[in-house]
Amino acid sequence: MIKIVKRDQPSRAIFFFTPVLAIFLTLVAGGLIFFILGFKPFEALKFFFIVPIADKYGFSELLLKATPLCLIAIGLSFCFKSNNWNIGAEGQLTFGAIVSGGVALLFYEQEGFYILPIVILAGAIGGMLYASIPAILKTYFNTNEILVSLMLVYVSKLILDYLVVGPWSNPEGFNFPETRQFSDSAKLPLLFEGLRIHAGIFLALAAVVISWFVFYKTYLGFQMKVSGFSLKTAKYAGYKGKKMIILVFLISGACAGLAGVGEITGPIGQLHREISPDYGFTAIIVAFLGRLHPVGIIFASLVVAITYLGAETAQIFMQIPKYTGQVFQGMILFFLLASDYLLFFKIKFIGSKK
Amino acid sequence: MNTNLKISNVTKIYPGCVANDNVSLEFNSGKIYALLGENGAGKSTLVKILSGVIIPDEGKIYLNENNLKLNSPSDAKKNDIGMVFQHFNLFETLSVFENLIIDSDEQRESLREKIDTIMKKYNFSIDLDIPVLNLSAGQKQKVEIIRCLIRSPKVLIMDEPTSVLTEQETSELFLSLKKFSEEGILIIYITHKLKEVMQLCDEVAVMRRGKLVSVSEIKNENIESLANKMVGQNLKIIKKKKAKTSSDQLIKITNLNFTSEDPFETNLMDINFSVNRGECLGIAGISGNGQSELFQVLSGEIISEKNSIEFNNNYIGDLSPQERRGYLMAFSPEDRLEQAAIPQMKIFENVALNNFKSSNFFNNGLINENKIKEHSKKIISDFNVNTDNIELKSQFLSGGNLQKLIIGRELITSPDLLICFNPTWGLDVGAINYIHETLIRINEQNKSIILISTDTDELLKLSDKISVIHKGKLSKIMNAEEVTSEKLGILMGGAN
Repeated sequence: MIKIVKRDQPSRAIFFFTPVLAIFLTLVAGGLIFFILGFKPFEALKFFFIVPIADKYGFSELLLKATPLCLIAIGLSFCFKSNNWNIGAEGQLTFGAIVSGGVALLFYEQEGFYILPIVILAGAIGGMLYASIPAILKTYFNTNEILVSLMLVYVSKLILDYLVVGPWSNPEGFNFPETRQFSDSAKLPLLFEGLRIHAGIFLALAAVVISWFVFYKTYLGFQMKVSGFSLKTAKYAGYKGKKMIILVFLISGACAGLAGVGEITGPIGQLHREISPDYGFTAIIVAFLGRLHPVGIIFASLVVAITYLGAETAQIFMQIPKYTGQVFQGMILFFLLASDYLLFFKIKFIGSKK
Repeated sequence: MNTNLKISNVTKIYPGCVANDNVSLEFNSGKIYALLGENGAGKSTLVKILSGVIIPDEGKIYLNENNLKLNSPSDAKKNDIGMVFQHFNLFETLSVFENLIIDSDEQRESLREKIDTIMKKYNFSIDLDIPVLNLSAGQKQKVEIIRCLIRSPKVLIMDEPTSVLTEQETSELFLSLKKFSEEGILIIYITHKLKEVMQLCDEVAVMRRGKLVSVSEIKNENIESLANKMVGQNLKIIKKKKAKTSSDQLIKITNLNFTSEDPFETNLMDINFSVNRGECLGIAGISGNGQSELFQVLSGEIISEKNSIEFNNNYIGDLSPQERRGYLMAFSPEDRLEQAAIPQMKIFENVALNNFKSSNFFNNGLINENKIKEHSKKIISDFNVNTDNIELKSQFLSGGNLQKLIIGRELITSPDLLICFNPTWGLDVGAINYIHETLIRINEQNKSIILISTDTDELLKLSDKISVIHKGKLSKIMNAEEVTSEKLGILMGGAN
């Protein structure tokens, strides 16, 4: 007989084990889905998870996709740790890309070492501005940040749409919905000849280190932790709740904005309609899969990045839609939430009762 | 007809604790029985077994020699065992009558007649057609009792019934219980309040750590003997020395008002009082009359007008809790697990919640972990917190130890004023004694206390002056020696 027993305390080992379990279950369920679709499960999973990163180019692509995911997830963990539910990183990414893209276009056909830092800074500021909207509405008008930040995603996408179709569209571009290519001075340098991996990865790594320091060594990190457990306690302790809400949203927006900069000044090199395959939403999964811990987020972003690559390979070699990638992302989150049950309960196998 | 209820060798084991250890008891109708014990002594478990909520691991229950199988609460009802729980099980938005008929299959008309008869017989006056949320706590309890009486029970069990009642409501309840008993209903009264046992009951069974310690007649006992049986050691009864009358004013509240946007909160109206150095001001009241709001206004969780609070000659009404700590105020909120501490965090992290400037927990925005840990060790040893591991998550501390940690955290930097709200709520007698001693001691050190409490005995024991809060208004401030619990009860009920 199986019996479910409440744990006396959430197990620390289980805390780090459940993400692994979730990934394993995702693989099993994914194999099952492939089987139902008429593919050989192991072969399909190989195409999905191994083939895409089997060579140098593939590995560079993996890092390329993991960079924005990691960066955004780090930013989001500032919000999530302190009980602020910023769901709109995709919008902050888009708006950051718009602002930095605009600045990059100002420097069209100009050269100079100073251009790239300005472009990057502009992206961070763009993301912060956009994230400040739900933060200010939440602190001063008690609105729900989940709704506001989510809806603003669509607003930013429409703004981008308007700009690339209208005022910012390439004059020599035959009315394609895209801007001019940025000048080389406004682009992030590539790390290796022939590979697309670019210097943006250092931004992500810096974010990891800084966030670790803030979370575990500073008063701000302590305040975030307390607020995450109990807002009543934070109030009693006398933390400046409003200031903190705005601060974590700004940090989160800056990270998302930087991720946007990385995309448009890295592999894309211009603004067009589809600058992000929903990195901002997927990063929510990454943040939780990584347990809101900076190191965990590195691993989680690599795992989730594979689903993007795998979906592309699977589309090419097996003619299945690339949206399978999203199915896998969904499954990871689903199984993670489900296996979190084990944090608080354990399963006991006991002999049948007399 | 006589009712005989027998509990025979009942054992209930939970992982890590024996809630009932081979308990055997016998009750006969015509008497009122007290089941006395501290929190966690196992009396609630026993009562839940009697009412079918919990199934015992071993042991049997006999009613008039019949072995009862109590597998669910409805089995208990079928066997004429009625139970009134500490927390009411009523639908607030339904009318009293609807609440009463909800689990009955009798005809509405006949039931209404039956209820009317019961109410007349026991002098209950409750409007059957108003929603329950308009009733006072005492009236709600009567509704629960009527719900039991409808079924003409043989046994009526009352679980800590007076925790929400005023003094007057309590004596009314006792009169009714005595009447029920005379009519042959067997009454089992669960409590940890010794005074009530002496007032009401005929026989008393004391439980401690799951075991039955003694069964005796009330006439052979007194409060001290019962207390010692309950705690298992000789408690020294502490008394407060009368404070030196000081005229050195520390805090003064003037025309303080608070209007809440939340309909479930109480507005505070025109609060005025002052506390001198070395004095303890007690604020009595039935819970939900604005105590929580008053605490928050005093602690700075709710900001008020700058001039409404004067502390040590500074106007501080608009300062945050953190800034008020800078003026040497300390706060101990009511809710230990959700506000005063975070159970999932370690002991030393909980110590850092209260960041007095002088403690230097955080320098230039960085955590000074060594300092915090050093401080935590001092609190643990100075305030008798029963652990030596400051890395322990505080959820593993008992309520008493957690409260000692909280009080210690607030007091270790020796603030001028401690504001505490129900500091001994839910604690065992030993811990209560310790907290009371601590509070008396800081008064002796010429520090002041504002004690907001729903426990009248505690207030009478510790306060120099007492006021009563009712519906957000404070009564006039009285000297503690002139006050009796009866007088407090009248004020708590809203009369002048």
